[in-house]
Amino acid sequence: MSLSQRLFSRRKRMMEDLDQDIRDHLERETEDNIERGMSPEEAHYAALRKFGNVTRVKEETWEVWSFVWLEQLWQDVRFGLRMLAKNPGFTVVAVLTLALGIGVNSTIYSVVSTMLLRKPPVHDPDRLVMLLSRNVGAVGAGDYASRSPVSPPDFLDWRAQATAYSGIAAASSFENDSHVTLSGGSEPERVPSSEVSPNYFQVLGVSPLVGRGFLPGEDQPGHDRVALLRADLWNRRFGADPHVLGRMVRVNGDAYTIIGVMPDTLRRLWMFPEQLWIPLAFTPAQLSPAARAQRSLSVFGRLKPAISEAQARSELETIARRITATNPGTNKDWGTNVLTVQQYAIQESNASTALAFLMATVGLVLLIACANLANLLLARNANRQREFAVRSALGAGGFRLARQLLSECLLLTLLGGGLGLLFAWGGLHLLRGAFNWNEWSVLIAEQLSIDHNVLLFTLAVSAGTALILGLAPALQITRRDPNAGLKDSSRSTTAGREHHRLQNLLVTTQLALSLILLVGAGLFVENFIEEMQARPGMNPHHVLTASVALADTAYQDASRQTVFFQNVLRRLSGDPAVQSAAITTDLPYTFPAYARIAVEGRPAPKTEKQADSAYFAVSPGYFEAAQIPLREGREFALADNAGSPPVTIVNEAFAQKFFPKENPLGRHIRITHSDESTGGTDVAIKWSEIIGVIGNVDEIVGQPAPRPQVFEPFLQRPDASMTFLVRTRIEPGAFAASLRQAVWSVDKDQPVSNIRTMDRVLHDSSQGDDIMAELMSAFAGIALVMAAVGIYGLIAYLVGRRTHEVGVRMALGACRREVLWLVLLGSMRRVLVGVGFGFVVSLLLPRLVTASFEGVHMSHARWILAGTPLAVLLVALIACYIPARRASMVDPMAALRFE
Amino acid sequence: MSTKEQRERIELLQGTLDLLILRTLLLGPAHGHAIAKAIEFKSDEVLQVEQGSLYPALHRLIKRGWISVQAGTSENNRRAKFYRLTAKGRRQLAVETSKWQKLAGAIARILLPVEQEGKS
Repeated sequence: MSLSQRLFSRRKRMMEDLDQDIRDHLERETEDNIERGMSPEEAHYAALRKFGNVTRVKEETWEVWSFVWLEQLWQDVRFGLRMLAKNPGFTVVAVLTLALGIGVNSTIYSVVSTMLLRKPPVHDPDRLVMLLSRNVGAVGAGDYASRSPVSPPDFLDWRAQATAYSGIAAASSFENDSHVTLSGGSEPERVPSSEVSPNYFQVLGVSPLVGRGFLPGEDQPGHDRVALLRADLWNRRFGADPHVLGRMVRVNGDAYTIIGVMPDTLRRLWMFPEQLWIPLAFTPAQLSPAARAQRSLSVFGRLKPAISEAQARSELETIARRITATNPGTNKDWGTNVLTVQQYAIQESNASTALAFLMATVGLVLLIACANLANLLLARNANRQREFAVRSALGAGGFRLARQLLSECLLLTLLGGGLGLLFAWGGLHLLRGAFNWNEWSVLIAEQLSIDHNVLLFTLAVSAGTALILGLAPALQITRRDPNAGLKDSSRSTTAGREHHRLQNLLVTTQLALSLILLVGAGLFVENFIEEMQARPGMNPHHVLTASVALADTAYQDASRQTVFFQNVLRRLSGDPAVQSAAITTDLPYTFPAYARIAVEGRPAPKTEKQADSAYFAVSPGYFEAAQIPLREGREFALADNAGSPPVTIVNEAFAQKFFPKENPLGRHIRITHSDESTGGTDVAIKWSEIIGVIGNVDEIVGQPAPRPQVFEPFLQRPDASMTFLVRTRIEPGAFAASLRQAVWSVDKDQPVSNIRTMDRVLHDSSQGDDIMAELMSAFAGIALVMAAVGIYGLIAYLVGRRTHEVGVRMALGACRREVLWLVLLGSMRRVLVGVGFGFVVSLLLPRLVTASFEGVHMSHARWILAGTPLAVLLVALIACYIPARRASMVDPMAALRFE
Repeated sequence: MSTKEQRERIELLQGTLDLLILRTLLLGPAHGHAIAKAIEFKSDEVLQVEQGSLYPALHRLIKRGWISVQAGTSENNRRAKFYRLTAKGRRQLAVETSKWQKLAGAIARILLPVEQEGKS
């Protein structure tokens, strides 16, 4: 028998004894009374009188034997539930407010913690640092300059001289987004890959699942044809075959031996996209002194146990100064930087500003929720003062009353929290589906889970609000004479001064807060919606795109590249499902390459910015296939080939930038690519004639202004890596297989990657901004409804409280219209203070938003700044008017009796 | 119930009922009714114990182990429950009595001069 069972059975026995005892007692007393000469009936009642309240005696004795607090709590909970059920309006609003505040916050903070705060998936992540170059000389380059990659000679020097690390390893920088073509066996494909130092995985602290890692010396020519696979690639391509070790794969056409499989935990951080690793071997050119300017490596170091980050940083800076002293030409103005991998990942992911804004917004939603709750509780408690006074007069102790209120608040919080958890769960579920704009977002979606700390925190904040505000009246009551309470609340015409002040403050704060949040959300939503509606400059519907990169050594010759692509295009054009097909180096809405432009007969521009333009090489028929309108001149033709004079087409923004008041047609320009010599006098690059002007097409969704673009014919400027753009007569997604077949019918070893519809390209280009816009609109909607409900509820309550006063005034002869005005003006004064304050603060918001987000343009800011306060005022006016009117309609006599 | 009656009856201070029960039981085991009678009788009916309130107090003392309870037969051969002081209760009574005397003495010393002043 357990302790509690024993206690319960003892209590039962004692209570049975008590019944017996009381009966005996009463009998004896009755007998005594009869002896004194009373009649039996009289004697019995006298005995009962003398004994007192039998039930209460039993209750008190019961309490002696019970876990009083537990049972009373249960009683409180049941009572609390009854009270909540009796006020369904209050309960629903309070619970929903809490649930929304908790749900929205938990969802967003869970996303943030998944995206930013998770530790990198390596051993002891706090000791793993990145060694970076820092461009001291760069002006206006932003933070990126302090997180630059490292050149091979610098890396080797650092590794030889630094003592703060137990290991230093390099990887070919992921910034280059390097892919290799994996072929042999099944279908060829493009795989993200990296060349790494042999000790790379030791430094990261990741051990192979199968086989071995790289050995020292495998970065030497002749030993470097070995490859490591990531587990998911191994699963996908080799069916997780344990005998894969020793097998050959072709990487960019060269044969490599598979020596091991690495776990796929690394992919959880966007910095580690590789599915395949090969040794990093330096060519003699990469080790020459001039190569110090070619900064391309990511360098990782594992700090020795006793070394701090600061020590490591100063040591590396010393080493770098020595290197600069001997290599001023390449290393002047270049310092160093040491960051933990997590710091680097946070700083480098541009999501942090947007997320910060989102967090601030949901924080405001929580604040509004709390303010709402506070107002609701205050209003309700004021209503209940008489109830408490009655209960207190009937003998309820102050502590007992406080506990009653406490349990009611606790119930509210629990209900709200439970529902909030459901909201958070649902919200994350929705977000998981929405995180699909690139590979990383999908990975993030897989890792999204409710952050328990956040859930607890928001629950605590809301519960705290509920408790503090719920308890305040109870504490007030305990100090008060119940008699006064009964009198006061039944006959007062206006609220007490202190109460009044508090409510004034709450109304003002809530109105101001709501307004600021609504304006902020409005600015964002408006901006995003505008972006989404931005004219794409082309027709993205019914278009399928796919990339092919001829990485094979067999295609190093440019003429082989043109032949390959022309053959594929010919096959595509023959397909009845195809309306038109073309190729381009980069699609609209993907980041294009940049080139420097020189105009014939003009001096070279002084700065890069003055000379730069986006650059594309496209096949004839590209503009027609993309449905980009031709404004002037003509399109490229098949005749514009390697044998004919160079020609080029520019967009309107280009024409405006380089030929502001001239006709660009027939003018000559020189296009210098970023990977070519920047000498500018290179005779190999010929002048090309502008033969056409086309409409503007954006490079990213939400671009503030069109940017100059220049196009060259693919036949004159061949490239190994091209993207197909196929306008289909059928559903574009259904054409994917045919597109693949068309490529493989020309060369079965070429992978077709990134097959997407153009609509999808647009969606992906927004990088989740469209999701953010949806989220913001949802929050703005939530905030609007919450604010409206809160404002309405509070004001309507306050005005309703004046019903009695209105009755008195009308009984004394005031006319209805006057009273209505009086009440309206009194309430609207408070409203105006709140709205005015909120308006002043929200005037700062457009500047704040534009300062925090690049590319945000506040074209409609003034409409939102003007419209939102008006909307809030309207809600407030309705909230004042309806109850005021109702009060004025009431029969004065009824109002006087009204409590 | 008139106001006058209320004023003349002395309500028991918190915890004094426990002391009175313990003191009564020092004379020997007794049942509930007898305890109530004894308290009323010995205080010349000044202390009006609401008889019912005796029982929660008795149970409280049982729970603390200061008294025990056993079935027995009363004077006129009726079955009754007898409460008996335990050794622990006896010790507690000594402690409580001395505490009470100190308190009563202190209050008396404070109150006495007022009465004398009033008389003179």
